[in-house]
Amino acid sequence: MSVSILGNRQSGQDIRDANVRAVLAIANIVRSSLGPNGLDKMLVDQIGDVTITNDGATILKRLEVQHPAAKVLVELAQLQDAEVGDGTTSVVIVASELLKRANDLVKNKIHPTTVIAGFRLAMKESIKYIKNNLAVKTDTLGEEGIMNVAKTTLSSKLIGADSHYFAEMLVRAVETVKQTSLKGESKFPIKAVRLLKCQGQSVKESVYVNGYVLQAGRSAQGMPTKIEGAKIACLDFNLNKFKLQMGVQVLIKDPAQLALIRAKEIDITRERIQKIISAGANVILTTKAIDDLALKYFVEAHAIGIRRVDKKDLRRIAKMSGAEILTSLMNTEGDEVFLPEYLGTAQEVSEERLGDNDFMFFKGMPKSCAQTIIIRGANEFMLDETERSMHDALCVIKRVLESKSIVVGGGAVESALSIYLDNFARSLGSKEQLAIAEFAEALLVIPKVLATNAAKDASDLLAKLKMYHTASQTSSEQKKQEYKFVGLDLANGKVRNNLKAGVLEPTLSKIKSLKFATEAAISILRIDDMIELAPKKEERGQEQ
Amino acid sequence: MLPGNQAPVIVLNQNTQREEGKKAQLANIRAAKAVADIIRTTLGPKSMLKMLLDPMGGIVLTNDGNAILREIDVKHPAAKTMIDLSRTQDEEVGDGTTSVIILAGELMGVSEPFLNQKIHPINVVSAYFKALEAALKSADSISKLVSIEDKETLSVIAQSCIGTKFSSRWGNLIVDLATEAVKTVYINNNGKVEVDVKRYAKIEKIPGGDIEESRVLRGVMFNKDVTHPKMRRYIENPRVILLDCPLEYKKAESMTNVEMTKEEDFNTLLRLEEEEVEKLCQAIMRLNPDVVITEKGVSDLAQHYFLKQNISVIRRIRKTDNNRIARVSGATIVNRPEELQESDVGTKCHKFEIKLIGDEYYTFMEDCEDPKACSILLRGATKDVLNEIERNMHDAMAVARNVMIEPKLVPGGGAVEMHVANELTKIGRTIEGIEQLPFQAVAQAFEVIARTLAQNCGCNVVRIVTELRAKHAEDNPDAPFWGIDGNAGKLADMRTVGVWEPLAVKKQTFKTAIEAACMLLRIDEVVSGISKPEKKSGPVAAAPDEIEA
Repeated sequence: MSVSILGNRQSGQDIRDANVRAVLAIANIVRSSLGPNGLDKMLVDQIGDVTITNDGATILKRLEVQHPAAKVLVELAQLQDAEVGDGTTSVVIVASELLKRANDLVKNKIHPTTVIAGFRLAMKESIKYIKNNLAVKTDTLGEEGIMNVAKTTLSSKLIGADSHYFAEMLVRAVETVKQTSLKGESKFPIKAVRLLKCQGQSVKESVYVNGYVLQAGRSAQGMPTKIEGAKIACLDFNLNKFKLQMGVQVLIKDPAQLALIRAKEIDITRERIQKIISAGANVILTTKAIDDLALKYFVEAHAIGIRRVDKKDLRRIAKMSGAEILTSLMNTEGDEVFLPEYLGTAQEVSEERLGDNDFMFFKGMPKSCAQTIIIRGANEFMLDETERSMHDALCVIKRVLESKSIVVGGGAVESALSIYLDNFARSLGSKEQLAIAEFAEALLVIPKVLATNAAKDASDLLAKLKMYHTASQTSSEQKKQEYKFVGLDLANGKVRNNLKAGVLEPTLSKIKSLKFATEAAISILRIDDMIELAPKKEERGQEQ
Repeated sequence: MLPGNQAPVIVLNQNTQREEGKKAQLANIRAAKAVADIIRTTLGPKSMLKMLLDPMGGIVLTNDGNAILREIDVKHPAAKTMIDLSRTQDEEVGDGTTSVIILAGELMGVSEPFLNQKIHPINVVSAYFKALEAALKSADSISKLVSIEDKETLSVIAQSCIGTKFSSRWGNLIVDLATEAVKTVYINNNGKVEVDVKRYAKIEKIPGGDIEESRVLRGVMFNKDVTHPKMRRYIENPRVILLDCPLEYKKAESMTNVEMTKEEDFNTLLRLEEEEVEKLCQAIMRLNPDVVITEKGVSDLAQHYFLKQNISVIRRIRKTDNNRIARVSGATIVNRPEELQESDVGTKCHKFEIKLIGDEYYTFMEDCEDPKACSILLRGATKDVLNEIERNMHDAMAVARNVMIEPKLVPGGGAVEMHVANELTKIGRTIEGIEQLPFQAVAQAFEVIARTLAQNCGCNVVRIVTELRAKHAEDNPDAPFWGIDGNAGKLADMRTVGVWEPLAVKKQTFKTAIEAACMLLRIDEVVSGISKPEKKSGPVAAAPDEIEA
């Protein structure tokens, strides 16, 4: 070597092989968690904390991936999680398959840039084809369609056995938080659906609460546990004894005034509380503390006081109940006032005990812009996994409700695209033809893995799928057109019309995952040299 | 470098270990069974205790499943999830911590042949979930609703629920104590039943004396003495004032500096402080209390004033104790003595007494009118024994509480499990396809409770379990009530022996055990040794963010 560098250098075919191997290793890890028959991973860190999950993004995040090319894939899964929320596993599997096939092409002396060009073209064609031919409007399916989308997502998870129950709950939650902007666009901020975990009972006892639930008890035992016709005050300041700011000193000459200052401190707080109570408030929430001395006034007024409420929770409650969050009682004139307008309302505020914890339920508030789902379950790990699954499902429901467009799952889209691209490739006379053909073949990895995970005969099923999809694309017969919805029925090891069976996914999710997977494969494919610099001398001590 | 390039590509951190496929599944099953084996002998009336030594040299002597597992330090992640189950059970219903682990362990155990036969775990899991539903239904079907309005029947019910668990050792003592305590804190507020054992029924342990001396007070007690030895230690019909503020001079919250120029000013200042305390005391004495109890400190000066007025003062009691006293005495906890009113004074407690037990003083506030809180005084030879009785008490109270909240009972002694097993076997025959086998395996797993009971009472396991199974298979209405009389080691009709358990506990046991088993069965890979202890890996949606308008 002419140029010497400190460290390792790999280039050409070596690095491509190494990258592909690393990527395949990653894909192999998540491969078995794909689809309704996918299994879960148990991840244990050095302290011994356990995570049990089926979510590709979570698995990869928790695994400490070191190889740089493999890291790209981990980020890919993360990206998919952030953008779509679901399909994290499949995007990794597709990307790795694409890369593997690309590498084989390059080995056959096709320049990587040609492969890249072919992949790009194939991706564009696929997206066009999905949009024009495969996507189905949800309007034609109605409520049932959206439910089915949620069910499809949940089917691969731990709670898949009760997917109907949860799908119903989640769809209702998402639909309730619907917001319509001035332009008439509907938005579904799924963050407004709060998932609250509470150990105990069984997952089927998870409940959907039309309202908000706070994980906090009343501040004093003397307070009532239930208030009907609640008037809610949301405060963002202390109800402690009044205290001057740090560094501000009161200097007095006459010792007799000392007592006055002390009395004043208490009085200021008392007056504040009395103003709030006399305005009609009977539920007082604050993000800060409530002093013992202040609690007594609330107890006497039969009001519920809750302290140390999370600010985010407070904002939600304020928004739903119509209350105003006050950072001080000062008005523009500098007087301390508390107007009844600041109060929000709720039909009922009550404290209930679930498991070993107290929860405050806020029900019947004028706006329904936030919802709560209380997740129950056998143990902590189960709750965490259920929460992740619900999050995925929420994302998917949101996508469908916003874009109103779905595709058929169970490998149907992939098979259709594969057939289409294969034909399309033959219409091209350039070297890209090979790349596109490989792209077409690579997509089939999804039905293949699905079938393998379900312990079914993958080759047989794949052949059947291909046959149906070829028929649908070559024939113009109405009946055969329907064949484009044919996908896998993993429970019985057959193929069927998945549109009728209700295996649905959002179009957006499919398109994005195709895009991301292709881009990721391309970016790794472009690498032809990797230089790993040796650590600097001073740091050699810390070298691992 | 070689032309094929077989140089290893390091993808993951090399410290991590991976266990995949069947190996991981079998390891999980083994771990679950191992956990179950640890506590198998602590089930039923003839159970044995475990002695655990913690690293500090402390001893835990118990037969409470949760307490045992809490102390054990396990390595295997699957074992950890198992242990968490007993915690859930403990928090949710307070009882059945042992049976949930045994059942979950057995459910895992019976799934092993299926994995060996290459039946897909998903099929097993879905069969298990179906079985859970059927099990809950069949448990419901033999439950009986009891009325709890009448206090007499209530205690009979609670007795029969708790009785069999501890009777072998201390007679009906614990049962009586628990029933009594729960009855005390039972509040029926227009149909909303509230039984807050955690806050209002406090267990106080005093080593020494005899177990027989344990009792439930019609009132409360706590480990405190009056602040001044000359204050009265016995008062009948005391007027009680409860405070949560200090009776001493408090500095202001804000930074207040006094600039003194004259010598007299200093004296004035001192005098002011004294006056302040006096004013506080005057405000309290205005109401003629006999006992003043505060959560904070009491200065010497204040003590002096109170002593002069013949008022007993107790300081620095816990907030929770104060809440209980407020409930039994009818007093309101007041923060500013100036705002005291006649209505804040508690008069419902008729006896205030401080006793010297061992070498410590204990305050008793007894003979209360309709107390809605209580203390349970436990006496016993050693601390370890007391701790164990406390745990039993805790279970017993939880059972009593469950009965009051959901007054539905099922026969105990393995009868309900046997019934469920029998039903599941019947239903299992009608299931088509691959799920039939795992479904029937669940039925088999349910028998483990009866089997373990039989084992622990030392009878011929095979004979008695087969006999029991035969009884349950009979087609007569009495069949579901046959179980094992754990004391005699014989089969008996649970209705005549009077062994009942709350339905809530049983249901929770089934739910927790089956769900946990399902979760573990779905795992096909264990990766351990990940170094980064990342902060919560939950999705973003867990923390509600600002709503996008």
